[in-house]
Amino acid sequence: MTSADSRDPAPVETSRPSLSSTGQATFDLGLRMGGLVLAIVLVALLMFLLKPKSFNIDVGISVLRAMSSVAIMSLGLTLVIVVGEIDLSFGAMYGLGANSLAVMWILLGIPIYAALPLAIGIGALVGLFNGALVTWLRIPSFIVTLGTYNLLYGVSLWITKTSTFNPVYPPPGSEIPTAQLDFFTGLTASFGAHPISLEVVWMLGLALAIGFLLHRTLFGFRLMAIGGNPVAAQLARLPVTRYKILAFVICSMLAAAAGILDFSFIQTTQPNIGLSFTFPVFAAVIIGGASLSGGKGTVIGAMSGALLLAELQQGLALLSPGPHVQQLFLGFVTIGAVALDLALTNIRKRRAA
Amino acid sequence: MNGGLEGVRLRGLHKRYGATVALAGLDLDIRQGEVLGIAGPNGAGKSTLVRIIAGEERPDDGELLFNGHPWTPAADWRRVAVVHQEPQLFPNLTVAENILVGREGTTNGWPKLGSADAKVMKAFGIDRFADKPLADCTLATQQRAEIARAVARDAQVFLFDEPNSALTDEESDELFREMHNLAAGGRIVLLVTHRLGDLFEHARRVAVIRDGRVRAILEGDALTEDGIAEQLVVGRDGETNVKTSAGIDHGGGSLVSVNDWSHTAAFHDIALDAKPGEIVALVGVEGSGARELLRSFAGLESCSGAIKIAGETGDRAQRLSAYVPATRMLSLYSNFSVAENLLVRLGSPEIAGVGMALKRKRMRQLANEATRRFLIRAHSVSQGIRSLSGGNQQKVAIAQALNCAPRLLLLEEPTRGVDIHSKREIYRLLRDYVSADNTVIMFCTEVLEVYEAADRAHVVVDGGLSRQIVVGDYPHVEALATEISRMERHARDDGGARRRP
Repeated sequence: MTSADSRDPAPVETSRPSLSSTGQATFDLGLRMGGLVLAIVLVALLMFLLKPKSFNIDVGISVLRAMSSVAIMSLGLTLVIVVGEIDLSFGAMYGLGANSLAVMWILLGIPIYAALPLAIGIGALVGLFNGALVTWLRIPSFIVTLGTYNLLYGVSLWITKTSTFNPVYPPPGSEIPTAQLDFFTGLTASFGAHPISLEVVWMLGLALAIGFLLHRTLFGFRLMAIGGNPVAAQLARLPVTRYKILAFVICSMLAAAAGILDFSFIQTTQPNIGLSFTFPVFAAVIIGGASLSGGKGTVIGAMSGALLLAELQQGLALLSPGPHVQQLFLGFVTIGAVALDLALTNIRKRRAA
Repeated sequence: MNGGLEGVRLRGLHKRYGATVALAGLDLDIRQGEVLGIAGPNGAGKSTLVRIIAGEERPDDGELLFNGHPWTPAADWRRVAVVHQEPQLFPNLTVAENILVGREGTTNGWPKLGSADAKVMKAFGIDRFADKPLADCTLATQQRAEIARAVARDAQVFLFDEPNSALTDEESDELFREMHNLAAGGRIVLLVTHRLGDLFEHARRVAVIRDGRVRAILEGDALTEDGIAEQLVVGRDGETNVKTSAGIDHGGGSLVSVNDWSHTAAFHDIALDAKPGEIVALVGVEGSGARELLRSFAGLESCSGAIKIAGETGDRAQRLSAYVPATRMLSLYSNFSVAENLLVRLGSPEIAGVGMALKRKRMRQLANEATRRFLIRAHSVSQGIRSLSGGNQQKVAIAQALNCAPRLLLLEEPTRGVDIHSKREIYRLLRDYVSADNTVIMFCTEVLEVYEAADRAHVVVDGGLSRQIVVGDYPHVEALATEISRMERHARDDGGARRRP
């Protein structure tokens, strides 16, 4: 470089003709979402071609219903992953949400109108517990939430005395007022010509709310910043601790809500429900483009990931090639999505260099 | 000297990173049995040279010869040992295992220490720590283990890269004794450091690197601290000097005043005043306490004493200051665009309104304003931050801090790794900023930076602050360099006298 005294303020860098000028993040996201939407459409088409008679609008609606609890939990997990942490406990929280509601309402006779907010409140407390241990005691979130996963499952087993609950058939001695039962089942009642459960509406509403929170508010902006560079965020005096705790709190509350909504729809709850959701929810979030190293993730991505998984699940159940195929697909899709991502990034970097 | 065949010869080394030329045809002979010092300002190509000799990088062009034969350190890494400030070892293994790892031999069991290795460990006085986990040893012992490990594998080239910045005086004396032993044993020893005193004392010759080439080799009578100091800044006089008469004296009270300011380890009893309109430099090598002192003004170190910023104390004082760390890795967000990076320190009401909703139009407008005001060259503010050049990234880092309208800006090495054009612009921006009755305090390791950007400077040695230097009193940068090196030397001698009564 010569030290010739060029005082002209013309750009030093020559403009590159390719993509780098048009907001790489947007482009990446577009590519990612495009691929995901394409996969969703392809899977749907394939299923339809393989078995045209069994696939109709009602199957589509059942896919939406089936994805809703996974989707709601993936919203919360997205927040936690964006801020650079991990939550393994939401599946157990889903179970505790449903079970604590069942115990308070059916066993202890607390009216549903109070029991429901209380159950969500338990979710908030669990999130506070997770977040506090992670931020104040600096225990890695993987370990904290692995611990809470077991703790919450233990509490579920304990308070339910390992029994199942159904508000329509309460245990002897308890009685559920009809009004309360109607309110509870009404939360996920179906409506319309092709019956669609209100649970789908809850899911969409929550997705809009969390989407707004993550992508359109200062909270989300800072969440992204903290996840992208926690040390810089600390040095810039961003409220790192508070925001991390809030992410855990929202995640646990959403998990409790998902458990309660499924309980309302299915009308029974067992001590061990929710645990098996842990990994599918992670898969949905990862397929949706979130990065486990933090600072990256979208609500639309997580929702699409959940949709793709539910579609595969329902479709394969109808095609019934055997239970193994579903698991194999879940594995392939998760690794494949991330591998594709990395490959595309590498190609782009090589081109930019 | 055997026709110059013995030792390492570097011929015409070139290396570039993108548009930046790190080495521009560097020639250097390193003889066996001597300690060769390497000095150079930041960005001169010093660390690139170290990486090439250590085998971590390959030159784009040029050749390396070892005893007259072509040599590729990247393939022949066993011959080279690098002693860093941070030992590159295995903290979870014992000292003995650290010596062994990588040369376990053909055993299938847990490897055992051979007699040759035991002898090496004894020679370095670390045999009594053999079974201690490395993480439990002092830094000095860890460095010894690192050297012993290299000796055990019969390394021939030893690169000491700022080895003693975290050591006590006694520990670094011992380290240098080992260094001289290695040289006396016929090995090739390089000492890379910012500490001119160490170069003067321990190197037989000192090569000064500027702009990717060896510009001078000092030896014999020419080898003095002042001589090195002058060589480091020679020919760069006022290249980017943007100082005006403004800022020197605004009269009036001070914006920052610090009294009895002490840290548990890094510094003690500091008193410092800075006025509005002033750029004050804290000059010091790594480990002198200067960096910690700067960070303490941002409230990042726990200190005792009193600090006042614009008449405020405590939290409110801290909110009037903004801190920009030395590496952009600690201030920029790689997942964010230029705009987001510029605005990330802002909150409500600047960029968010009711319900924390972001004001997106306002953000775009603010970001565009900031790119203009801070002369950031980007195609668009929605561009990813990593696609900017280093200089422009640094401007974003500083703009990010200035966006929250602090009265006191705290900078660490503000133009490290920045091209000359951006450097000039950054100094101009700082000047504009202080002329609006604000203050900049910056930590510098380079005299040139002090000369070009600062109004006043204090030298920090062993955690103490020197008397002030008014930069304008020095007619050229060499004079300033001589003065600073003299002050460092005196402070060190005084301190040494105090510590060794």
